[in-house]
Amino acid sequence: MRKANWKLLCSVFLMLASSLLRAQEFKLPVDVEKLTSRAKETVEVNMDGPMLQWASKFLSAEDPEEQKAAKVVANLKAIYVRSFEFDKEGAYSPAEVEALRAQFRSPLWSRVVGVRSEHNGENVDVFFKLENEKMAGIVIISAEPKELTFVNIVGPLEVDQLADLGGEFGIPKLNTKPSGKPLAKVEKGDHK
Amino acid sequence: MNLEDKNPNRMGELLRKSLQREEVPAGFADGVLIRAARQRAAAHDSHVPSWFRIFSQPLLRWAAFATISASLIGGGIRYREVRREREEGEAAKQQLMLALHIAGSKLRLAKSKVNEIHTSRPEREPSTNRSRSKS
Repeated sequence: MRKANWKLLCSVFLMLASSLLRAQEFKLPVDVEKLTSRAKETVEVNMDGPMLQWASKFLSAEDPEEQKAAKVVANLKAIYVRSFEFDKEGAYSPAEVEALRAQFRSPLWSRVVGVRSEHNGENVDVFFKLENEKMAGIVIISAEPKELTFVNIVGPLEVDQLADLGGEFGIPKLNTKPSGKPLAKVEKGDHK
Repeated sequence: MNLEDKNPNRMGELLRKSLQREEVPAGFADGVLIRAARQRAAAHDSHVPSWFRIFSQPLLRWAAFATISASLIGGGIRYREVRREREEGEAAKQQLMLALHIAGSKLRLAKSKVNEIHTSRPEREPSTNRSRSKS
């Protein structure tokens, strides 16, 4: 009887510990979660392991885009996305975004891209999580005047394959041609 | 038939007697009908497969009906479950594709910004040299 109690206690503890660890992967500051009420449009996607694998079963092998997606998702553990679109500029404060960025200033994470544009106010940060010199996760924080997006992908993935999916599904690809106008600040390869 | 019977009058009488209409015994018609029905049933049974004859018993007939009904209901429920599962799966797939699209587009944005700075750098350097040479 005592053994059974111990087993139960241990399993509950392990479940709590794993959920806490998972929660630590990506925690949106409370203020940022409040943005939902201010946003014109909100996208929230929370997909962890089993859900992700289940959803990927429905990806068609005949559709080339879904085939690409299946390759990207194959080894992933979780995907979390929050995207807020606002009617007007200034709906969120830089401090709110900074609080989020601060979570990834740890030895586990490396900031590989940090773009600060005074010209059009498009700021993008890309953090990589490396484990045993292998990609174990990616976080993208994109702060635009009327849009704020957080993406956290947990698990090994090919960044180029993911970028390939950026302009698909009938949505025009982003204009990657250089505008020729100088950018205020672009940081790249700021490994910590 | 003896010699006396060879008398034509006697023969005629006998013939008339034998051809005389007689009343059938009571219940004769019912007996014929029952026999005919039995014969018909026997003929019908010979066309029915032997395994099917077990359903002639009411209890088994009801059991068969109940089994078929249960199978149909169970099949219907399972079909609805599969359909609901498929709908939920499709919705999850759409969510997944949306998440990947957002992630991919933001990654492309970061890449484009990096490309911009790379392409704009070599242009700026010669212009600064030119301005220096002019001054």
